[in-house]
Parts: sequence; C-alpha cells; structure tokens
Amino acid sequence: MAKVIVITSGKGGVGKTTTSASFSVGLAQQGHRTAVIDFDVGLRNLDLVMGCERRVVFDFVNIIHGEAQLHQALIRDKRNPNLYVLPASQTRDKNALSMEGVERVLEELQDEFDYVVCDSPAGIEHGAVMAMYFADEAIVVTNPEVSSVRDSDRILGILASKSRRAELKLEPVREHLLLTRYNPRRVENGEMLGVEDVKEILAIPLLGVIPESQAVLQASNTGVPVILDEKSDAGHAYEDAVNRFLGEDLPHRFLEVQKKRFLGRLFGG
Amino acid sequence: MGLFDYFKPSEKKSASVARERLQIILAHERAERNRPSYLPKLQKEILAVVRKYVEVDQEDVEINLDRRDDCEILALSVTLPEKEEPKAQRA
Amino acid sequence: MTTSSVFELKGSTFALPVLRLLGTDQEALSQELSERVHKAPEFFENAPLVIDLQAVRGRSSATDFALLIGLLRSNGLIPVGVRGGDKEQHEIATSMDLAIMSPGQPLPRRKPEQASKALSPGHTRLVTQPVRSGQRVYAAGGDLVVLAQVGSGAEVFADGNIHVYGALRGRALAGVKGDTTARIFCQTLAAELVSIAGQYRVSDDLDDGLRNKPAQIHLQGRRLRIAPL
Repeated sequence: MAKVIVITSGKGGVGKTTTSASFSVGLAQQGHRTAVIDFDVGLRNLDLVMGCERRVVFDFVNIIHGEAQLHQALIRDKRNPNLYVLPASQTRDKNALSMEGVERVLEELQDEFDYVVCDSPAGIEHGAVMAMYFADEAIVVTNPEVSSVRDSDRILGILASKSRRAELKLEPVREHLLLTRYNPRRVENGEMLGVEDVKEILAIPLLGVIPESQAVLQASNTGVPVILDEKSDAGHAYEDAVNRFLGEDLPHRFLEVQKKRFLGRLFGG
Repeated sequence: MGLFDYFKPSEKKSASVARERLQIILAHERAERNRPSYLPKLQKEILAVVRKYVEVDQEDVEINLDRRDDCEILALSVTLPEKEEPKAQRA
Repeated sequence: MTTSSVFELKGSTFALPVLRLLGTDQEALSQELSERVHKAPEFFENAPLVIDLQAVRGRSSATDFALLIGLLRSNGLIPVGVRGGDKEQHEIATSMDLAIMSPGQPLPRRKPEQASKALSPGHTRLVTQPVRSGQRVYAAGGDLVVLAQVGSGAEVFADGNIHVYGALRGRALAGVKGDTTARIFCQTLAAELVSIAGQYRVSDDLDDGLRNKPAQIHLQGRRLRIAPL
C-alpha cells in the first residue's frame, strides 16, 4: 500500500513544484516506485519542471472523468523507470477535481506504487484541499519569510482538522518542515529568519533546508529536477531530505555561510 | 557579529522583528482556529434573540470560549445601550 | 470582533452554449443529441446550456418540455434557461425552475475560448486574438481559423479543418467528430499534440526536421502524416 505524500505550503512561489519534482526523483532513485501528481489544474507546471511536457496526452482530469485509463495518462520518466508523472489539465479549473474521483485515482495508484507524491496548488481552496485530503504525510514547504511562515501555519491547521485522517480520527498526518530559499549570509546579517526561528514558530520536525541557489532556476529552465544536479548545494540538500524522509539520520548541511573558501583553496584545505 | 557592528548603534535586526510579529499573529490565529465552528452562528442567533427586546449592535454581543484544564467555559457578554427603551414586545 | 457581510452581489457575464431547437421530434432529437455527445463527451460534460425556442414557438407542449429537459440532463448537460419561446412555453420553463433569458443578447467579445459554442453547423469560426494557455476554442460543425498564435497549454479543436496563421504551440485537434479528411495547417509547428479524427501524435514524436516550420497534418489511411508546407 503506497504512502500518499502531499507537498504543500499555502503560499505560492515557495518551491512546491521544484520540491515535488526533486523529491519524487529522489524516492525513485532509492528504488521506490513513485508516482507524482500535479494537482494544480489550470496552471500545470510539474510536467515542465520534470521535462516531460512534450509527452502529455491525457491528464488527471481526463482520468477523473473516465475519458482515459490511468496507464494511458501516466508518463514514465525517461531517466528513471521507477518514476511516473500524472500531469494536470491546463484547460480546466480546479473544481474539475471531485473528491470521489481523486480518491479513486489514488486508490488505483496505491496498488502499484510505493509512494504517491501530490503537488498541491497554492492557496487553501478546492484544489489544495483535494491534494492534502488523502495525505499520510505532508511536506510543508516554507521560505524563511513572514508571509510564508504564516501561510504554512494555516496549512498545518487545515491538515490537522480537515484531512481524511483528521476526519476519521486516525493517526494524524505526519508533518515535515522543508525550508527552501535559505540564505545563510542574510540570516547571519539578521535580515532573514533563521532555521531555529521557523522551527520554533511552526513546531514541526525539520526535514531539510534547501539553500537559495541559481541551480534551481537552471533546473526548471532545462526540465531536469535540481536533485540531479550533482554540482549544486540545493541538489545535495534535496538528496539529504529524501534520505531523512526514508529514515536516515543525517546532519543538516548548508546552514552556515561558506567562509574562508579562498584561503581554503590556497592551502588545499 | 562583524567588527564594524561594534561601532553601530544597536538596532533591532529585521529578522528578529519578523519573529516577534509572527509569534503574536500566529498565537492569535491559532486561537481563532480552535474555536468551534458553531460559534459565529450561535452569536448571530443570540444577537437576533436579544434584538427582539433590546436594540444592540453585533459588536455588543461577545462570545468567548475559554478552556481551563478540563472544562470549557462559554462566556456571553451583552453590552446594553445606556438608555434602554424596551421595544414593544411581540406576543 | 469584525462585522463583515457573508456575501456580495456582483454582475458577471457568461458565454453559454445555446441549443437551438429546430424541431420537436423527441426521438430524432434524442438520437442526434446522444451521437453528438458521444463524439465529444468532454465538451458536453456538465456544460450549462440555454435552450432557444424561437423556431418552435407554439409547437411544444409541457410534456415535450419535460422530456427534453430529461434528455439533456441524461446526456450530462445542465439546462439553465430558455429564450425566445412563447408565453406558455416560458410559463412551463419557469415552473421547471429554468430562467427566462432575454433573447438574442450579443455574446461578450474578447473571450475567444467560448465566444460561440453554439451548435450551428457548416460555419467557419474565425479567431483573431491569440489563444492563450488554458483557453479552449471549438469550432462546431466547421473549420477554425486562428489569425494569431496558439500558446502552449491552449487547446483548439474543430469538427473540420484547423488553420493557424501563427505559431501552433498548444494542442490542435481537427475532425473531432470523426472526419478523416480534416487537416491542420500552421505557420510554425511546435504543437504539444496534433490529432485528426482521433489519431494523435505528441510533441516528443514530432520529426525535428519539421519542428518550427510551416506544416500541414493529414491522415493517410490510419496514419498521421506531417508534411512541410
């Protein structure tokens, strides 16, 4: 039975789709059969970030409306045979997702996959609620910035009260904090909330910290999830986060300003 | 802290201001969120009943739910107008 | 405590498809309707619809009307109102919770994705504005001519041919009701998907030699052929 993971945040532009792409690639790399679903109906972007936009025929809404079979719509990732993408529809709106339809698709996926990653749209409206309702685990993507932290808090409240697990009084959704666009220099200068600040305010376990990086933009430009960029800190940080998610105990990296790099290089240190 | 920071007058960094603001607003929002969903409706209906007899505004009826240990206290406070002229009572 | 209104009332314009009743033969209507819906189920699903009674004034009875509404609903359509009928017809419609729409209001312009979903046959639909991501344009019963680009994430479809005098970056589906002679023409081929009468090809399978060039797409037997123009 697959675990359903929702990648959510409330606020837009914090890195949900980047995270969904990298996280599902990371899970697949560890040998887990993974499906990643774009819930952002009407504003589909996951296919672009995953680099499979040129192979989209059917989409999530087609499946929900019974216009195509699930296996027709799932796009197999060219880089990894364990990974499949279910794109969103661009020409519909979010209300095209019915609760029964989403449940049926997730049930069907659960038989064949180990993990189903749901890329939530921004906001707290229908589409976002659909993405998080069936979740077993939630990765709350947050920027170290007041409005993002506040929106994440709101999302945590919704997960705790309106998810299926909450409604059926099951074990609550497991929550993970993923801090993205982290800039250690600005934190040091007192211009940006630090990891400890956000952790304390949101009071959920920290899954990872992704440093702000040029590599993230480059990754979406080229359609290669940043986790595959072996030269970037952001890629390594995502790798760590996936491994932590899978139970490894790893120290958090990239939290400090990289200092003395010049001297270090001079002396070969 | 850099060397030059010693010479600057100490001023609050924006990150710590952000932190304080967040802590306050989130405490407030979490309290709101934990209110049972029937409270606004309850308030409206009580207001309607009160208005049958006394002219009051919505702000004059306040409902609060407090939690003390194991027991919940529903507090209802109605601010009556200064000079109260009873409305004609309907049978 | 804040006092805020629980609703606000705003005016808004919608472009709705209009079903123009040309006859009252229920059986013929039932057959034709299910055929149409079957060919483009996605287009009809849960679509709100206005019934135009202009051509059948004084010719339909209350039972006809009830049957018609049932027929539309069973085909997944949602009748929301009528227009152009006689007084009696409007009374029946009102009794069935349908709205009476004022007849022949001009449809709002500048909304290329929905501007004329009317089911009038044999008509070429002309779109002069770019079709943007998320928009869909359908030419029912005829050809579609787009004098601008069709953006990535947009969808154009027609019962007949599709001409795009600009870049085709979105999806184009010609002959959606099964016309195998339909063709697609475009000035710059960069489509996400092209299809004729149900045979399709996605962007990834496009020949690189044809990409970003003028092209026409047609069916040869059951194979989709893409040729330079």
